[in-house]
Amino acid sequence: MADVSLHNVAKSFGATEILRDIDLSVADGEFVVFVGPSGCGKSTLLRIIAGLETVSGGEIRIDSRRVNELPPADRKIAMVFQSYALYPHMNVYKNMAFGLKFAKTNKAEVDRRVRQAAEILKLTPLLDRKPRELSGGQRQRVAIGRAIVRNPSVFLFDEPLSNLDAALRVNTRLEIAKLHRDLGATMIYVTHDQVEAMTLASKIVVMNHGRIEQVGAPLELYRHPGNLFVAGFIGSPRMNFIKGQVLRLEGGSATLGFAGTEAVVTVRAGALAPGDPVTVGIRPEHMEQGGADAAPLRGTIDAIEQLGESSYVYMRLASGDDVIVRAPGETDATPGGAYTAHVPARALHVFDASGVSVLAGRG
Amino acid sequence: MTDLTASRIQSADAVPARSRFPIHIAVFLAPALAIYTLFSIYPLIDTIRLSLYAGDETGARSFVGLENFRTLLSDPNWSGQFWNAFRNNLIFFLIHMVVQNGIGLGLAMLLSLPRLTGGSVYRTLIFLPTMLSVVIIGFIWQLILNPLWGIAPSLLKAVGLGSFFGPWLGQESTALLTVSLISVWQFVGIPMMLIYAALLNIPDDLLDAATVDGAGPFSVFWFVRLPLILPTLGVVSILTFVANFNAFDLIYAIKGALAGPNFSTDILGTFFYRTFFGFQLQVGSPTMGAAVATAMLIIILVGVLIYLFGVQRRLQRHTF
Amino acid sequence: MGPTIRPGRIAVHVALILYTILALGPILLILVNAFKTRRAIFADPLGLPNGQTFTTIGFDRVFANADFGLYFFNSLTVTLVSLVLIVLIGAMAAWALTEYKFTGNTLIALYLAVGIMVPIRLGSVSILRMMVELNLVNTLTALILVYVAQGLPLAILILGEFIQQIPKDLRDAARCDGVSEYRIFASIILPLISPAIATVAVFTMVPVWNDLWFPLILAPGDGKQTITLGVQQFIGQYVTDWNAVLASLTLAIAPVLVLYLLFSRYLVRGLTAGAVK
Repeated sequence: MADVSLHNVAKSFGATEILRDIDLSVADGEFVVFVGPSGCGKSTLLRIIAGLETVSGGEIRIDSRRVNELPPADRKIAMVFQSYALYPHMNVYKNMAFGLKFAKTNKAEVDRRVRQAAEILKLTPLLDRKPRELSGGQRQRVAIGRAIVRNPSVFLFDEPLSNLDAALRVNTRLEIAKLHRDLGATMIYVTHDQVEAMTLASKIVVMNHGRIEQVGAPLELYRHPGNLFVAGFIGSPRMNFIKGQVLRLEGGSATLGFAGTEAVVTVRAGALAPGDPVTVGIRPEHMEQGGADAAPLRGTIDAIEQLGESSYVYMRLASGDDVIVRAPGETDATPGGAYTAHVPARALHVFDASGVSVLAGRG
Repeated sequence: MTDLTASRIQSADAVPARSRFPIHIAVFLAPALAIYTLFSIYPLIDTIRLSLYAGDETGARSFVGLENFRTLLSDPNWSGQFWNAFRNNLIFFLIHMVVQNGIGLGLAMLLSLPRLTGGSVYRTLIFLPTMLSVVIIGFIWQLILNPLWGIAPSLLKAVGLGSFFGPWLGQESTALLTVSLISVWQFVGIPMMLIYAALLNIPDDLLDAATVDGAGPFSVFWFVRLPLILPTLGVVSILTFVANFNAFDLIYAIKGALAGPNFSTDILGTFFYRTFFGFQLQVGSPTMGAAVATAMLIIILVGVLIYLFGVQRRLQRHTF
Repeated sequence: MGPTIRPGRIAVHVALILYTILALGPILLILVNAFKTRRAIFADPLGLPNGQTFTTIGFDRVFANADFGLYFFNSLTVTLVSLVLIVLIGAMAAWALTEYKFTGNTLIALYLAVGIMVPIRLGSVSILRMMVELNLVNTLTALILVYVAQGLPLAILILGEFIQQIPKDLRDAARCDGVSEYRIFASIILPLISPAIATVAVFTMVPVWNDLWFPLILAPGDGKQTITLGVQQFIGQYVTDWNAVLASLTLAIAPVLVLYLLFSRYLVRGLTAGAVK
């Protein structure tokens, strides 16, 4: 088993910078998820670790060994591709055995490993089938099986679930999580889906524009997003953002004015000055109806989505800001009517003009 | 262009059947079927029919059964020429299979390398000779290889092969090879393009997966790319076969209907032309010409059938 | 990969450049020497024409002795009329075969497929006989009829594949509006297949323009020669006049060269699109 570390990794195609200043360490046995919008460089970073792309600068270490110059096959990694990349002219058995052919593994050992992987993934009855005779979920398992037989130190997954339908996706997600528990191997997983990231990862790496925005455990990112981008990316529905201003500052206590209301939060020393513009963030699920010490937000209802166990109220505030509020499933609110939501100060996120979180003890 | 029947069968269920044969379908189909039948299928059938007749000096024709074919295959005046043309045609085809399709495959491999700069420029320029008329190409090479002009020997001398030069088109021993290579030179672009398109069709992920699996460039080619483009190589082969056994223009342009020297470049196309129209002292014979054409038709059909039932069925087409 | 130039890549480019030179060299050699005096053609075949060696005497002789303008016009007429007919008639048949399910559909498709694999050339004996009877020998009509028959099968296949990709909803929407089948074809299908014409053109126009066989058999005289046949006849006659031979070849090459370089993007795309099938 192995750890992976990246130091100052950079990548550019000609003049276009794809990745810069990537520093990251992945501990042995960790499940790390790279998440970010498309084009953020997360897949390129995975391919760099795999050895399918060269770096323009920096160093990659797997198992404390510099691997920059090593070809993919010598890095003790295995990769599961988004399209599964199964060889269409080979049956399931041969697909899984293909990589071992080049590792000079003897036939009996190849057979043992392929059958063992097939057993784990419930592929044994399908070993003679060609990929085109398999369902999407089965192909996906073959792709994972092909990775398992190589007995790699690090598993790399490139958006492996994006070609599956919703139900199968949840299923396979659970299987991958179980596989990680059983094998105890280091896994690096790329996705643009924050739900996958939240459910699978022991550590999430949020990326944007070729840079790492924040690294942390899933709940840590949810509770304490370090900047506007991470705050907006993690959580569904998206966090509400309202423009505001610093009204008063007394010691660490800042009084913020936003959308016609006020709230007091504790901020990092020196992070803000009176009159500074700020962005206030509040998750839909943290808004309350009523509540004595909570700041009220008043507006009119644009639309209501009823999901059964809860409802989402889309409302426009008098200040012109649009916000989403999670309300109980049985709500008597109606479109066009007035609505008031309350914002508890402890649930507020506050970001300065450059988008960095200014709350004390966070960020 | 080969799995025609399959695609047609799939597409046939577009609209539910109607009880009465609708007139508009007939209107849409009629012009194509009429011209195609009248000027393609009917002449082919009529040619086969004609091959069973013999004509005399007065132009009267009489049914002679397979007599023309017996003449063609066993009469010393005919069979020598026929088998000579057939043998030459076979050599012509084999040279194309090995050299033309080999170079085409090689070029396609180079052109399909990832992030190759100038790829489309190379493709466009290398394909250019294919666009020109075979006749023009024939004349161009005839001039270049002409010892009178001397450009070929001086170019060869420049690379140290001066003593190698000879009047290749004029020697019996080298004329067929030379003509074949001229044709190869012109048509390399076609296998190159077809194979290039097939290679592009292979997803990058598949090649990346093979790389991660530890396959080197040679193994990726041998175990992944080659098996996946086999169906295309099959199509290229049958297209080469049909085109080669139907060739005429190049040899007629360079060597004339007599396909000299001493018939050493004679192929079935030129033999057919001479038989039909006559040359020098021999009078042209439509019925013997029809017999030669029918023989060519049979050769091509045998080739196509071997391909369709022997080769194509074994080559699984892959969808990605 | 990456900005660093690897030695392997250089070798690839060297190989490709060498082959490109091999492919273009002979053609350029003809074009260059067509504008040189006879003496310069032999003394310095690889040199470009300069003030002393430049001449157009070959072209003057070609124009004096052969009507290349007419041959060119003949070729253009035959090729364009054939293409238009093949696309129009082929699209109608392709539409009928892909859109409607009727008895004999598969059979007709197979019947047409014969023409893809079997060269129509082999029916020349009967074609000539028919053209004699129809009094069409030495007419462009004879060539056009044969070329249309020759080009239709492949065109129907290509256009059929293309028509299948046109969303079915478009036609069904029109049917709901009560539009006739003829109008659906003329005002929906025909305009939408224009991209496929490039592919059809590669497979039909080029062989037609370059063909020697049928012009030689069906229209060898009476000023109905195509450019290919015209060049062939001219060179046969003036074989020792190097200036004239080179000039006539240049005249035959130049228009194709210009058109090819102008439209190569579409042609190459058309070819690879057709090839994927």
